[in-house]
Amino acid sequence: MSDVFGITISALQAFQTALSVTSNNIANANTPGYVRETAELTNAVPQSSGTAPIGAGVEVAGISRAFNQLSANQLNSSQSSLGQLNSLQGYTSQIDNIVGTTAGGLSGALQNYYGAWSTLANDPTSTAARQALLTQAQSVATAFQSTNSQLQGLNTNINAGITADVTQINSLAKSIASLNQQVAVGTADAGGQPPNDLIDQRDQLVSNLSKLVGISTTTEKSGAVDVFVGNGQPLVLNTTTTALTTIPNQFNASQLEVSTTSNASNPISSQITSGDLGGLLAARTQAVVPAINQLGQIAIALNQSANAQQNAGLDLSGNFGANLFSAAGPSAAASSNNTDNTTAAVSITNLGAVTANNYVLRYQGGAYSLTDASTGSAVAFTGSGTAASPLSADGLSIVLSGTPASGDQFLIQPTAQAAGSFSVALTNTSQLAAAGAIRTAAANTNAGSATISSGTVVTPSNPNLLNTTTIAFTSATTYSINGAGSFAYTPGSNIAQNGWQVQISGTPATGDVFTVQSNAGGTGDNRNALASASQQTQGVLSNGTVSVNGAVSALITGIGGQAQQVNTAQTAQTAVNSQALQNVQSVSGVNLDEEAASLLKWQQAYQASAQALTIANSTFTFFMDSINGTYS
Amino acid sequence: MRVTQSLNQTQFLTALDTLESNLSQTQNQVSTGLAFTTPSQNPIAAGSVNNYDQVLAQSKQYTANGNSAQTSLQTEGTALTQLQNQLQSLRSLALEANSGILTGEDLTGIATQATQIQNSLLSLANTQDGNGQYIFSGFATQTQPFALTAGGASYAGDQGQQQAQIAAGQTVASGDSGDTVFNQIKTGNGSFSVAANGGNTGTGIIGASSVTGAAGYTGGNFSIAFTAPNTYNVLNAANAVVATGTYASGQTITYGGAQVTLTGQPASGDSFNVAPSANQSLFTTVQNLITAIQGGAGSPSGQTNLNNAVATALNNIDQAISHTSTVQASVGGRLNTITTQQSVDVSQQTQLQQSISSLQGLDYASAITSLDSQNTTLSAALQAYTQTQGLTLFKYL
Repeated sequence: MSDVFGITISALQAFQTALSVTSNNIANANTPGYVRETAELTNAVPQSSGTAPIGAGVEVAGISRAFNQLSANQLNSSQSSLGQLNSLQGYTSQIDNIVGTTAGGLSGALQNYYGAWSTLANDPTSTAARQALLTQAQSVATAFQSTNSQLQGLNTNINAGITADVTQINSLAKSIASLNQQVAVGTADAGGQPPNDLIDQRDQLVSNLSKLVGISTTTEKSGAVDVFVGNGQPLVLNTTTTALTTIPNQFNASQLEVSTTSNASNPISSQITSGDLGGLLAARTQAVVPAINQLGQIAIALNQSANAQQNAGLDLSGNFGANLFSAAGPSAAASSNNTDNTTAAVSITNLGAVTANNYVLRYQGGAYSLTDASTGSAVAFTGSGTAASPLSADGLSIVLSGTPASGDQFLIQPTAQAAGSFSVALTNTSQLAAAGAIRTAAANTNAGSATISSGTVVTPSNPNLLNTTTIAFTSATTYSINGAGSFAYTPGSNIAQNGWQVQISGTPATGDVFTVQSNAGGTGDNRNALASASQQTQGVLSNGTVSVNGAVSALITGIGGQAQQVNTAQTAQTAVNSQALQNVQSVSGVNLDEEAASLLKWQQAYQASAQALTIANSTFTFFMDSINGTYS
Repeated sequence: MRVTQSLNQTQFLTALDTLESNLSQTQNQVSTGLAFTTPSQNPIAAGSVNNYDQVLAQSKQYTANGNSAQTSLQTEGTALTQLQNQLQSLRSLALEANSGILTGEDLTGIATQATQIQNSLLSLANTQDGNGQYIFSGFATQTQPFALTAGGASYAGDQGQQQAQIAAGQTVASGDSGDTVFNQIKTGNGSFSVAANGGNTGTGIIGASSVTGAAGYTGGNFSIAFTAPNTYNVLNAANAVVATGTYASGQTITYGGAQVTLTGQPASGDSFNVAPSANQSLFTTVQNLITAIQGGAGSPSGQTNLNNAVATALNNIDQAISHTSTVQASVGGRLNTITTQQSVDVSQQTQLQQSISSLQGLDYASAITSLDSQNTTLSAALQAYTQTQGLTLFKYL
């Protein structure tokens, strides 16, 4: 009989345990990271007896976790990718909104600005038209500045995000290390049985960590999990952690980079390519910085072309036009790691070749190398960096103050500062140069039918530009300039002198005289205003193929294209992640219907065992009563 | 595959997010009427719309420029019409002065009238537009171009010509300089002019002159010298005789592709000088005429001088009239060019607006259809969720 009691009691205990496990599953149905558990029942091995062996009941061998490491790893990796895209998408969509379909209002401001030049050309002496032009120029400046400052604001947010991520990563790493410790202790305490709940918690922390930064993990024999970031930098090794930290960028102290506390001076930002942190770093290098640079490229293009045209014309007072706009040119930042104080000065020599890229100039082993800052690919250059032979690449000229120390680096930013510093330099409407610098005239005494063109300024800086020059025909086919020389006359060909050029066409007669002189007083002249207005469609960038407005269109398309691409990638990754989550959940998740069925199963088994106990009891009572004679 | 309730909920919420964000985007499209409001929704179209917008703004600006040039040219045209009227009046006066039956008082009266016309011409040459800018001073629009001098008028302007941009790469001049209109008028018949030698003693009067054979006409200076009252030689600049003939009043003298008619009776030793036409200011012509009329015709030789001076002036006035007509025709041509260009502009603008609207404008039919279908999907999803959420074994325990 005793074995009936023993068997029954073992069953009651086992089924109670199973019911508890099921209840625990139900209780944790919505707990993040909880892995469904199952009571592992096994039949108890009977004491050997002479007769046929009868089982000794049931016992709980352990409580197992329904866990698949491969699925969990896949989910972590997919979460890292999704985290990266989520945070990147946050920034690309903000840039998408800031730039918008009007390039932050730049598009309309430029239209009005060029329109104002055209209106001024219709009435060059009008103070109202001049004032309107200055107002439109100011709108352009405002559009550049506000768009730039919104983009710069994103950089600030990225820094804050990096700091917050690093803090959270470090805190998670500590918790994981601490749980590694607890799991080891728990395993020992439970006589080798794994402490499932601690393991669940730790795996959940690892999973949370994977959302912040791309990680790889290995499980030690002891059951401890080691976590690595970047190219294998250890974050958690068993119970110890190596914290991440933020350091200022070597070229730009206002940009934070990520490094490890064990090697703080060596940033690992470029190795962190996934997770929220990876997304923030990518947003900066792939979205924000390029957008600022492209905007700056447009600002520089407008600044240079508008000012050059101003300088070539005369204002209402007959002076050469002063600069209309002002914008910072290229900059060269020395690395904080440089070992001497050599500085680099950069200037633009060819606007058409200037790109929106940043470059890193490095001096190593007696030679310079120039690389694209974002791709790291080499950029061809000429020169030796001295004033006599500047380093020259992509429309830039770089002069170093001396020979740098070996290993010195400089970050060359051709356009980064331009949009933020773009402003209107003129305040006085009369300083707008609407008139051409020179005018031409044919003497009224000319007997021939030759005519002279109105003349164009080729080199505004020529000191003799405004000197009166006389072109006198010594015969029908030859002319002298200021009484000197004898040049063959070809109708319609260029005659250049003192920085200007004119064309004389038709048939001159001997003694015919043409003059080229300063246009001072020519306040009704609108040639320079027309030239300024026509810059709207004039190619200045990309070797003169892309106009200022074309660059604005390209910016809009580029920003929109990037945002669209990230959106698409994010949507795709969301689906991938959802699948990975489904895979994990299908193994480890709690299905309440299944648990309800289990409850019923264990309840019925428990009831049956209890019934067995009752029967054993009544059988035993009957037997005792029979012996005691109470049964009659 | 095992499906768990919590996964079900997570996935439902994710799907709900997507559905609602799509619905909100369509809603936004319908309420703004724009197919996209950020470049990411259609990057290529967003860039193209920006380009089209600029071209459209530019085209509208060209139309405005054309209007402005039209105003300037119309102002100039009005001035030129008045100039023609004044020149015609002056011509009549000159003809009257040449009639030869006038008293000194008559001539003084004519001179007074001519002086009045001279002042009107000056005021026309100094015409200002609505903004107070001188229209005949070239670039120096703030400088009064003409002022009378003893011999005619001085010109303080330049030869600049303001241009208006009326299309990409197309400009029209919105004015003409005073030099062009008033100063660069050829003398004589446009090819050469004939003047009586100051020492002539006969009564030879210059009549019509012209180039008869352009091919044979070489230009240069000639002199028609009378060796006897009825014999003349035509000498070239090198004093070589190039033609000779006998003369009677009204005789047409022909030489080297040109002909000159003289009337009256030159004396032996009289000569008439032929010179290539040169530019002469209208004001010089007028002043010369006034001076000649004021000089009067006190004697037969004075009458001859007067007649010759007036004949020269008449030639020059005719040149001025024809020169002004040429300028008027050019102004009219430019106005036509502007009108033609503006009608091109209008159709271009319509086409650009259509392009922009086809890129950026919302196709309401398809937007409303997707709004409908997105709505249906969302409500179906909500319904499916609430229905499946009721399905649990616990209900039956």
